[in-house]
Amino acid sequence: MTIETIKNTAVSADILNVEDERRIDLAHHALLLLVACVLGLISNWVATKVDPMTALPGMAFLYAISIVGLLLAKFVPFYLPSVAWISLVAILVTIPGVPGSALIVEQVGKLNFLALATPALAYGGLALTQNEFQIARTSGWKIVIVAICVMFGTYMGSVVVADVTLKLFE
Amino acid sequence: MAQTTLERYGGVGLHLFVLGIVVVAESIGLIRIPIGIAAVILLPILYAFAMGIILNPNIMKGTRRVLSGNATKVAGTMIAISIMPFIAKFGTTVGPQIQKVIETGPALVLQEIGNLGTILVAFPVAVFLLKMGREAIGATYSIDREPNLALIADKYGLNSPEGAGAMGVYATGTIIGTFVFAIMPPLIHGLGIFDVRALAMSCGVGSGSMLAACTGALVSAAPTDKDMILALAAASNILTYATGLYAGVFVALPLTEWLYRISRGEQTSSISREAQS
Repeated sequence: MTIETIKNTAVSADILNVEDERRIDLAHHALLLLVACVLGLISNWVATKVDPMTALPGMAFLYAISIVGLLLAKFVPFYLPSVAWISLVAILVTIPGVPGSALIVEQVGKLNFLALATPALAYGGLALTQNEFQIARTSGWKIVIVAICVMFGTYMGSVVVADVTLKLFE
Repeated sequence: MAQTTLERYGGVGLHLFVLGIVVVAESIGLIRIPIGIAAVILLPILYAFAMGIILNPNIMKGTRRVLSGNATKVAGTMIAISIMPFIAKFGTTVGPQIQKVIETGPALVLQEIGNLGTILVAFPVAVFLLKMGREAIGATYSIDREPNLALIADKYGLNSPEGAGAMGVYATGTIIGTFVFAIMPPLIHGLGIFDVRALAMSCGVGSGSMLAACTGALVSAAPTDKDMILALAAASNILTYATGLYAGVFVALPLTEWLYRISRGEQTSSISREAQS
């Protein structure tokens, strides 16, 4: 178990159609990311009425942060998913006092966070495979109940622990 | 050649479909249905997901003609890629709030342990109420997103009972997770028992879409706390990326295995006792 399991887990991710982030074709991803950013700008435009030209600098920052995150996921010797790297880079460049942070915060502020998730969910609906529909169908109502309990339990467990800890430390 | 290059990007059709869905979803906007002290909040991401399912080539035969053969596969890649600007935006909300986030540090770290709450709630339901077999282990040990699923695949194989349980919750969570995580937090917030910061930092327990749904709904329930909600949810989400797999390997899965053994063991002995009497 232990280290070996974790290593194998990364390997078996292939079965699940999860892409190995060390082997991704960066140029290909950079172009797809551009498509995603254009969709994000339009989504933001419809949601907030901020026109794409005004929001463009902010989106350019998000694009750059994402690319840096992808690069880190590809080349840093220990494994962290690219989304974790992207988050860390985004935090780092917006900490007050870091050069340029005020500008980045101001520009990125023109983008609505929820509008940026809309394209991903649209792709999500289109990406469901026959297999996934099949599994959901054959697993039956018991799995649906269990799945809801799992989500509720995971969320509530965190809420209770967080709430108690917050009260203890104040 | 041009055809194959375009094919590699899933064809223009796929992205135009998404464009159309996004414009319609964002035009409808947020809908709030008050029920008592709380409210059910419907978000554009929910409509976008629902429209995506309706237009999915596996559901609607007509769209197969318009979308290229690998559209579903490219759409899968695009989920991971189009969530990146969102995650980046999310991260930029942490920096300015870094002081407040650090102040909640102990809660942020400890709430990761709270994720084991799934075992507390779902395991008894699966094993005692629904009488599930070893499927219950894979189904209930975690929220069963990709890294958790990969762990089950490695230890038991996806064709095992444990694998079937994990795949079932994974597929169901993929389809209804966004809805559950949009509906649940505002209702719990409405109870007025829990600190909104606790509700926010618990949003980072699952996938990117669960995170989006949870924070989106929470922000519309408590708009004045928007900046703090985003920052805490983003911070806890990063912690989950970093700790989730390890928590599964070393704590959650062994614990679920052990619980299964003792609960089924007890049952076997109680049956044999009945048989004796």
